[in-house]
Amino acid sequence: MPETIATNPRRGLSLDVYAVALALALALLVRLNLIPSIKW
Amino acid sequence: MATAASSTRPLGLDQPIQLGRRIVVLIPGLLLLAAVGCAGKFIEQSIAGYTKAHHLTFPNIEYVLWAIVIGLVIANTVGIPRMFQAGVATYEFWLKAGIVLLGSRFLLGDILHLGGISLALVAVALTLSLTFMHLLGRTFKLKPKLTSLLAVGSSICGVSAIIAAQPAIDADDEDASYAIAAILALGAISLFTFPLIGHSLHLSDKAYGLWAGLAVDNTAEATAAGALYSDAAGKVAVLAKTTRNALIGFVVLAYAIYWASRGQAHAVGNKAAFLWRKFPKFVLGFLFISILATLGFFAKPQLTSLANLSRWAFLLTFAGVGLRTNLRELGKQGWRPFAVGAIGEVFIALVTLGLVYGADHFLHL
Repeated sequence: MPETIATNPRRGLSLDVYAVALALALALLVRLNLIPSIKW
Repeated sequence: MATAASSTRPLGLDQPIQLGRRIVVLIPGLLLLAAVGCAGKFIEQSIAGYTKAHHLTFPNIEYVLWAIVIGLVIANTVGIPRMFQAGVATYEFWLKAGIVLLGSRFLLGDILHLGGISLALVAVALTLSLTFMHLLGRTFKLKPKLTSLLAVGSSICGVSAIIAAQPAIDADDEDASYAIAAILALGAISLFTFPLIGHSLHLSDKAYGLWAGLAVDNTAEATAAGALYSDAAGKVAVLAKTTRNALIGFVVLAYAIYWASRGQAHAVGNKAAFLWRKFPKFVLGFLFISILATLGFFAKPQLTSLANLSRWAFLLTFAGVGLRTNLRELGKQGWRPFAVGAIGEVFIALVTLGLVYGADHFLHL
């Protein structure tokens, strides 16, 4: 099976941490009204 | 090997260039994920608009299914060219970011209530399914470590659990590939069967979401199976699956200790450090955002924005689920691991369905 970000155990931890960091950063930007309201 | 020129290059200059290259490599695949996801959304909206304009009765097929089907068709016909593969592989990153953002849609009380029920059901289902998978593995004469990987994958958390368990129990790469392939194939099947079964049994959104979260292996597939039923069911499926994911470290630790006691894996040193290493950190992010939302940190329009950001992240994930499923590769893995996985999955689906029925009846979900 080709090694990908998803199947590489060494990158598993950083993937989680980066995902959490991105989500928290976006939440902060939304809270501070630094990005326009997001539509769906 | 580093050349003289590169070894004397200042470290600070090299790193941003490498990071920039890594990001550039991801762009084609990310664009493909976005295109497939948006195509799914466009088809859903077009059909809904057409049927409404012409007063036709047609079941609403969620963009989730369209995105997965488009992805499956691309991956299994023309294939995914190499330049797109790195970006497509980020779908799990978007899944985790989406789950953290989804925390804003839960009050902490809801998490404690539904999460508590999920935890109790997971504990029962886990015990039964691990026992059953080992009996099956023995019956089908699978290698014991392959059985362990299949048991961990089908009872806890799909691919992530297998990846976490493989080095901990010193299992072969080949066994891990078999187990991953079987779990992915079964996850793809559950995407199409779970919503049909849920509708035919007239399950409520909460009951269905709980069932999908407890029974579907991979987090991406569990999220998609929930979202295919309804938005509310998708939310509950994510919560139940996240509760299940939180137990990954404990189960992997138990297996590591078991195989080490038989002299077939290296001993586990610091158990607390092991648990922390295996613990999915996005669960903490999910809880943190939920606490902030419960404390009123976000205004109502901001909560809507966060929920929509989560939906966009899931859109990329669902596109990735289809794009990374290669049916030909899955077919090459042999029938026995697949058969053990499939029988185990049916067992787990029935057990968890019974548990959810019971919980709905007695605990009023």
